[in-house]
Amino acid sequence: MNTMFSEIAWLIPLFPFVAFLLLLASGRSGQGLGVTIGTVGSLASLVLSILVLMEHMSDGSKYYQDGFKWIDLGSFQLNIGYEVTNLSALMLVVVTAVSFLVNVYSAGYMKGDERISTFYSYIALFTFSMLGLVLADNMLTLYIFWELVGVCSFLLVGFWFTKPAARAAAKKAFIVTRIGDAGLLIAILLLFWYMPDHALDFVRIENVFEGQSGTVAAGVTTLIAILIFVGAVGKSGQFPLHVWLPDAMEGPTPISALIHAATMVAAGVYLVARTFDIFQASPAAMETVAYVGGFTALFAATIGIAQNDIKRILAYSTVSQLGYMMMALGLGSLTGGIFHLFTHAFFKALLFLGAGSIIHAVHTQNINEMGGLGSKMRITAWTFGIGALALSGIPPFSGFWSKDAILTTALHENPVLFVVGIIAAFFTSFYMARLFFLVFTGRPKGEGRIHESSLTMTIPLIILAVFAIGAGFVETPWNNTLGEWLTGAAGADHSGSGLVMVVSTAVGALGIYLGWLVFVKGTIARDAVSSRAPWLVGLLERKYYIDEIYAAVIVKPLRGLGSLLNAIDQYIIDGIIAIIGGTAVLLGRGGIRLQNGQVQTYGLITVLGLVILIIAVVGRRFWS
Amino acid sequence: MQVVQQQLQPFTWSDAAYLAPEWILIVVAIALVILDLAMPRRMNRTVIGWLTLGGLLTSLGFVIWRLIDMKGAPLPEGVNAQLGNTIRLFGDSYRIDGFSSLMKIIFLAAAVLIVLISIGTVRSKEIPNKGEFYYLLLPAVVGAMVMVSSSDLITLYVGLELLSITTYILVGMRKYIVQSAEAAFKYVVTGGISSALLLFGISYFYGASGSTNLGQIGMKAAQAGDLTPLMYVGFFFVLAGFGIKIAAAPFHLWAADVYQGAPTPISAFLGVISKAAALAVLFRIVQNVGLLGSYTKPIADDVNLAVLIMAAAAMIAGTTAALRQHNMKRLLALSGVANAGYLLVPVGLGLSGLHTYVGEFIFYLVVYLFMNIGAFAVLSVISKAAGHEELKGFGGLYYRAPWTAVATIVFVLSLAGLPITGGFFGKLFILLGAAQAQNYWIVPIMVVTSVISYYFYFGIIRQMFMRSTGDDQEIAVPGTTGIVIWLSAAAVVALGVMPGAVMDFVYKYFSIAADMLFLYL
Repeated sequence: MNTMFSEIAWLIPLFPFVAFLLLLASGRSGQGLGVTIGTVGSLASLVLSILVLMEHMSDGSKYYQDGFKWIDLGSFQLNIGYEVTNLSALMLVVVTAVSFLVNVYSAGYMKGDERISTFYSYIALFTFSMLGLVLADNMLTLYIFWELVGVCSFLLVGFWFTKPAARAAAKKAFIVTRIGDAGLLIAILLLFWYMPDHALDFVRIENVFEGQSGTVAAGVTTLIAILIFVGAVGKSGQFPLHVWLPDAMEGPTPISALIHAATMVAAGVYLVARTFDIFQASPAAMETVAYVGGFTALFAATIGIAQNDIKRILAYSTVSQLGYMMMALGLGSLTGGIFHLFTHAFFKALLFLGAGSIIHAVHTQNINEMGGLGSKMRITAWTFGIGALALSGIPPFSGFWSKDAILTTALHENPVLFVVGIIAAFFTSFYMARLFFLVFTGRPKGEGRIHESSLTMTIPLIILAVFAIGAGFVETPWNNTLGEWLTGAAGADHSGSGLVMVVSTAVGALGIYLGWLVFVKGTIARDAVSSRAPWLVGLLERKYYIDEIYAAVIVKPLRGLGSLLNAIDQYIIDGIIAIIGGTAVLLGRGGIRLQNGQVQTYGLITVLGLVILIIAVVGRRFWS
Repeated sequence: MQVVQQQLQPFTWSDAAYLAPEWILIVVAIALVILDLAMPRRMNRTVIGWLTLGGLLTSLGFVIWRLIDMKGAPLPEGVNAQLGNTIRLFGDSYRIDGFSSLMKIIFLAAAVLIVLISIGTVRSKEIPNKGEFYYLLLPAVVGAMVMVSSSDLITLYVGLELLSITTYILVGMRKYIVQSAEAAFKYVVTGGISSALLLFGISYFYGASGSTNLGQIGMKAAQAGDLTPLMYVGFFFVLAGFGIKIAAAPFHLWAADVYQGAPTPISAFLGVISKAAALAVLFRIVQNVGLLGSYTKPIADDVNLAVLIMAAAAMIAGTTAALRQHNMKRLLALSGVANAGYLLVPVGLGLSGLHTYVGEFIFYLVVYLFMNIGAFAVLSVISKAAGHEELKGFGGLYYRAPWTAVATIVFVLSLAGLPITGGFFGKLFILLGAAQAQNYWIVPIMVVTSVISYYFYFGIIRQMFMRSTGDDQEIAVPGTTGIVIWLSAAAVVALGVMPGAVMDFVYKYFSIAADMLFLYL
């Protein structure tokens, strides 16, 4: 078994980290330098990741782990290590590929921004953290990188910190995901508590939970699984913690593509996949994952219909697609979830970068102010169309195959969720049709000359489009390559997949047709719904008033509690601190008075100190 | 337990080879004296600095080689593996073992860094006899090395005086500055008090046990009986004598004055090498005499308690007095007092089972070495640029020398005990040790004094970022001093990221039975 490249897999995150350090050291000097360093760093990681993946594909399932002892604290020790499994090898390629393309794309998109070097250093730091997360061999290392990607997301969402909306969004993203992180941290502590030998590495977690050996009680298992899932919910923008993801679109668009579509938000799915044995040991946790995922898929898709901001539509679509992945995992199909993660990373990054290209040209994000761009931006239009078709699940694009895998599983496991998935698929294709037709067809609305973006931006689009078309063929109903490779087991039951394929294609096509009728042909009036049921459109536009509900139910009471605690802090805690501080200062003053520069005083105090010490220590023998 | 009476054996050439690290320093020192005399007056004495550095490095190499060689050598017939290959010389008054070798590595490494700082910042204008400055460092280091290697109180005293007398001269090296002469005078007087207390204590040990050998005293202490009060007197006086050298409260008052008057590299020398040598010796005495002899008797508890009280007093006195300090050298002196307190904690924790807190002690000592010398190196650069040693000299440092400011942040964070620096783990290990030894009362004192210390440590950071001296000139950092700053900063961070490595290293070469208890089974 050849593990030549896996042995040096630890280098993969180090390339972007070195790039980050170099960029940090170079400061603001040299704009072009930032682009070059960042891009070269991610390219090096990409090349090595591909080599690792090829090694893993060449002869079946392989595993490589290495690490070192970090700290020895009494009875337990903390390790830092990495492991390369087939799953992480796949993720490595996804992350580095998207990261590299985003690096290239940003050279055009961020051109002229005076903080472009900073931007590249953040991307490099993010890529490092994300790769570290993927390679981590134990929960604690994973958690460290998990927080690091959160910090990078915060920095990048708030990159244009002069905009108040960006600042608010960055804060919201950070706080909301922190809620999830708290769940994950508690889960890790519980694992630490209940695992034999306090082991936190994935291998032993797998051994303990596999086949419900009973080492850890069923109730605790469920609790741990649910808490891990809470962490995943926060990171992957699942209901009810999805609210930060659409707001995070205030960040630069390449960031939305990299972090908030392809990689970081998928970390939640990856986490569940990584700890899948814990979930499989608890049917209740599995059901929770499946239902939360299914609900989020439908819920976010409906919101997507009524939004007007191109990036927000894509953001809700991301939430919805992540819901599909969670649903697949909850229904027990690791392959389905990861397969959709894999294809989604490419077509959603494509859509976001395409949206960036559009925004770059027309300087607005409102789709009602766009129109007729198809003839002027041919490459963007074609590639965006491919991405939209992939997302809508139209064969033979990649999204079709992965969605089909999930829906087939759903049909076997849970018919209710199958229906939910089908309805969500219909809405998905409808809002994508709306988006596409409003932006690219019809009459131009804005003034000014609009032209295609530069090559550095269009080439990544074309490459991603190729993936969006082809990436689905790694796993089809008659070809189980991915599934067997990932899980090591024979493929899932594909009976009935013919029916699923027909149904899902039909609803996808129906959604597009309906969109065409409304937004191109005009057979159905645009206000057909809003004139008859304005409350429904209002509900969708306001995103089911979730933000408002949170503000009323959570934020306000917390504010009240906060001011109460603040008062306690001000009067009681600060009072105590003032007393302690005052004592310290008084003691210090006394000390300084002794320190009068007279050496005879020093001698006297030395002797007095000795006498007091003797009396204090020896004297207690006589008194007691 | 049976004491093997050693015959006084003639001193052989192979014995002399064991002392190579010490010989080298002495020979280099003498050679440099002659060179200094022979060199024309107008020639720059910096070359003597480099030769001093070479001597220290050679000696360091020999110490490390001996340590590894000793560990790897086959054990003599019938010797317990626990006891290792301790080398005992001069009728068992001088021993080369794991603990003393580890301490020697610390001394020599610190001395190397201090010489590097000096080469960068010492100018003839300030210190007229630069040659003298360098070659006097060597006997001082030899003194410290003799101290940690001695198993006899007389040898110990000789080493201590060698260290002390040379440092008295070094403190007064800035001949034309009144403060320097004053500092030297104060140091001589307090040093004299220290020696007097120490000798008084030693004489009581001798009176109670009939021996000056530490191992023997330990054995006799067990059967002291009626003579136990004499042992007590001996202990407390020895404790006070070393307390002055360590600068632990209430014996610390000289420190601020002396550090302020001494040349900056010598302040660093006093703060690290003198302090560490006295601490290490005290550790041995407390463990060996106090515990081996009488761990069932109250004397062990009392000695430990006295050490811990001294530690607590040092932590409190050091941090509170530093709150209102604006002179950087005095501030560092007082921070050194507080750190002496932290370092005394593992000394006073005693034995729990067959575990002693040497790992915690040496780890924090190594961290302290780097963060303290690093801070002094930064100070030497800044005081040269500003012309004074006040805190406000750090004003606007971030804008005048950003990289030096970054390194300073590392040192300050470590001194304050925040992650991810070595200082954090150093304090954490000592805290955990104290909790493990169930000495719970010392824990809150450590924590609270650490928190209070944030006030003045962060004052330095505030100066660097938010104050300006009105002087925007870039501060030039001399090459060798820059090396020290960066080496120290890297070491502090490395210790904070990989604390396990040092601990493993210490426990690989340290054995409690041979190095602390002097058992000869």
